[in-house]
Amino acid sequence: MTGLALPAIVLMVVVNAYPVIYAGIQAVHDGDLLGLGNFVGFANFQDALTDPLFWRSARFTVIFSLCGVFGSWIIGFALALMLKPDFAGKNLFKILLLLPWIVPIVVSSMSWNWLTATPGSLLPMLAADLGFGRVMFLADPTMAMITVCIFKIWISYPFMMMMMSAALEGIEPNINEAARVDGANARQRLRYIVLPMTARSTYISWILMAMFSVNDFATIYLLTGGGPVNSTTSLIVLAYRSVFQDFRPGFGVAISFLMTAALVTMSVILLRQMRKANMQ
Amino acid sequence: MSTTATRPRKLALDPRRAGMGRTLATAIVTLVMLGPILVVFWLALRPRLYTDITGPTLETFVYIFAETDILLWLKNSAMVSTLATIISVIVAAPAGYVLSRGRGGAVSAYSLFIFVLQSFPVVVFVIPLFIMFASVGLVDSLSGVAIIYVASSVAVACWMMSAYFDTIPVTLEEAAWIDGCSVFGGFVRIVLRNSLPGVLSTAIYAFLLAWNDYLVALVFLRSDDRFTLPIGLQTFFQQNQTDWGPVMACAVVMLTPPVLIFALLNRFFSIGGIGGALAGK
Repeated sequence: MTGLALPAIVLMVVVNAYPVIYAGIQAVHDGDLLGLGNFVGFANFQDALTDPLFWRSARFTVIFSLCGVFGSWIIGFALALMLKPDFAGKNLFKILLLLPWIVPIVVSSMSWNWLTATPGSLLPMLAADLGFGRVMFLADPTMAMITVCIFKIWISYPFMMMMMSAALEGIEPNINEAARVDGANARQRLRYIVLPMTARSTYISWILMAMFSVNDFATIYLLTGGGPVNSTTSLIVLAYRSVFQDFRPGFGVAISFLMTAALVTMSVILLRQMRKANMQ
Repeated sequence: MSTTATRPRKLALDPRRAGMGRTLATAIVTLVMLGPILVVFWLALRPRLYTDITGPTLETFVYIFAETDILLWLKNSAMVSTLATIISVIVAAPAGYVLSRGRGGAVSAYSLFIFVLQSFPVVVFVIPLFIMFASVGLVDSLSGVAIIYVASSVAVACWMMSAYFDTIPVTLEEAAWIDGCSVFGGFVRIVLRNSLPGVLSTAIYAFLLAWNDYLVALVFLRSDDRFTLPIGLQTFFQQNQTDWGPVMACAVVMLTPPVLIFALLNRFFSIGGIGGALAGK
């Protein structure tokens, strides 16, 4: 039976595993895009860990991923709860609300760019009318960080909505009904029935979304390019720039490896705890 | 509707009126959430700069089809995405079957292998693949890009297929095996034949990933005539930053195929099950 997995294994070894190993070799060399260069030991890792920009990018990666995971989970879960009972137009709304996930990122980044950075468009005018003056959504470092995070939440909430909708469907309606009859109010039912019974899906969607967020290049790069003054540079953007703009693949790969190591460690701990708790 | 009258009422509140309230509230939320997408359509109807037209117009669409390579980009994107989708399903379906039915150390190891590979960012794969593909003529080629799309979707595709196969009772295959069917025969004739929703679901995922990708196309596609939509559109956007009408008209062309596919096939699409495949064993 295991033979059936052979095509996938061969493909993954050639196009995934081999490049990772090659990249691992690059990480301990000082070459450029074409040649490997000289062996330099862990110098690339040392350079990365002592570079202030690395730590700044790491900080933004954490902020960006926390927003991506929890911001989109809260909105996605709320929408999943809203769409659970039957009502007119439910299925239409279910599809419409998934659109931010389906519309290509190149397109949505352009529309967010127009919405936030064009002087005559909606958000700058709204901000001015509310008395905030001229808000530079993408030109001011702090505002750019906030804008990118909100953009990420907007792109990611449909994934959470799908995950949590599926989890909610797994709850026996009788259990909720019984709690209601016993006098549990909506908040108590959410706290003691819905949240525990969807805990497994919640954790898994957090792990997956953490993975998607940390590795998300296009969302940041297309909206701000990592600027202004590197305020929205995440580790993946820094790695991309080190490879393709500074032509230091070893350094870029070292950054990616440090990032992936942190990510895998975190996911494995979470998965193990999940199994230990033996969640539903 | 007469059915509402016969429905038992659990609450003092009229269920029909409560339903209408929910519809209205959901409609408002949906409108806000879709704002950035509505903006795309609204801007696409703007006349080009330096023309005499005022008010909404479809002239921008005439312009982009006549003056840009958008049809070529559309064709390239369609080819790459279709190829990647077909290969992804063909590869992931049997592998997902193993993940779903298989037990023991080898399967667990395989499962971990997929998970770890999935954790690496595409940036790590790109340079070694670029060097490797350069030696076999796959750089600046649509097939080369399609192969990378398969590689980046195959992990989740395996989980999705595996999650669907979990819902098919193993007794069906066992009956077939007793009747002399091989493992492969049982998989194709029994399991796969009953898995249309799972296959479509996986195909939609692989298609969306390929259609929407930016990074791989940016690195691998060099000549104008190989550009896919994301690169073509981004280049066009950089050259016409302030002329939003035609730029957004191109954007409308780019977002239409995935939205149409999803609208037609959404009842098959389900991603909720992948959690079980990921954390189950």
